[in-house]
Amino acid sequence: MATIRIPTPLRPYAGNKSSVNVKGNTAGAALEALAQDYPDLRQHLFDGKQLRSFVNVYLNEEDIRYLNGAETAIGEQDTLMIIPSIAGGRGAREVVS
Amino acid sequence: MLRLSEALQAQINAQGAAAYPYEGCGLLLGHTNGEENVVTGLFPVENQWEVEEEKRERFQITPEDMFAAEVAAMNQGVDIIGIYHSHPDHDPVASPRDLAWATWPGYSYLITEVRDGQPGESRSWQLQRDRSGFEEEKIEIRD
Repeated sequence: MATIRIPTPLRPYAGNKSSVNVKGNTAGAALEALAQDYPDLRQHLFDGKQLRSFVNVYLNEEDIRYLNGAETAIGEQDTLMIIPSIAGGRGAREVVS
Repeated sequence: MLRLSEALQAQINAQGAAAYPYEGCGLLLGHTNGEENVVTGLFPVENQWEVEEEKRERFQITPEDMFAAEVAAMNQGVDIIGIYHSHPDHDPVASPRDLAWATWPGYSYLITEVRDGQPGESRSWQLQRDRSGFEEEKIEIRD
């Protein structure tokens, strides 16, 4: 089983674990397995069936976008990392809760 | 609540002033203690927003920089617990852009205003669990 490292803010939705082992022979299958094992994670990773736009996945030290995307093959010794891209900035109008 | 030292707040202020009139940014490293995010170090990064002039009101941290920060955090035995950025000539309040591009609840979004190049007030925000908005969190600064 491959390992997925869980970002700090998502650990409460993954049994407070920093990493979990998941089934799957591809990066996409592993992420789907993760969401099935921890259903509360799904909304934070997926928008419908697609990964949220800010969610990037690294296989060992490479972004899977530059490999074979969700079809990137993974092995039992591999580690996937969920890496967000961050953006923001001031706006003309402030909107908070 | 977000806890950090005066020295780290000073470092954030200095980075915001140096980046002025553009937004400066970086990652907060540390650990989570219940509802508290405790900052023990910073991982400053360059504002990688692609359009130079728009850096006055926008910032971007690339996945490559975020990955580097994750590795640095792991090597230090800490975690990424938040993001900091500056608002040049604007209140340190989470904006529609901050909300639209927000990632996950749990991260502290620390925003520092910089007016005429001088750092001012900092306020910290967290994304609500239903992603509908930001709510402010208290900042505690200690020596």
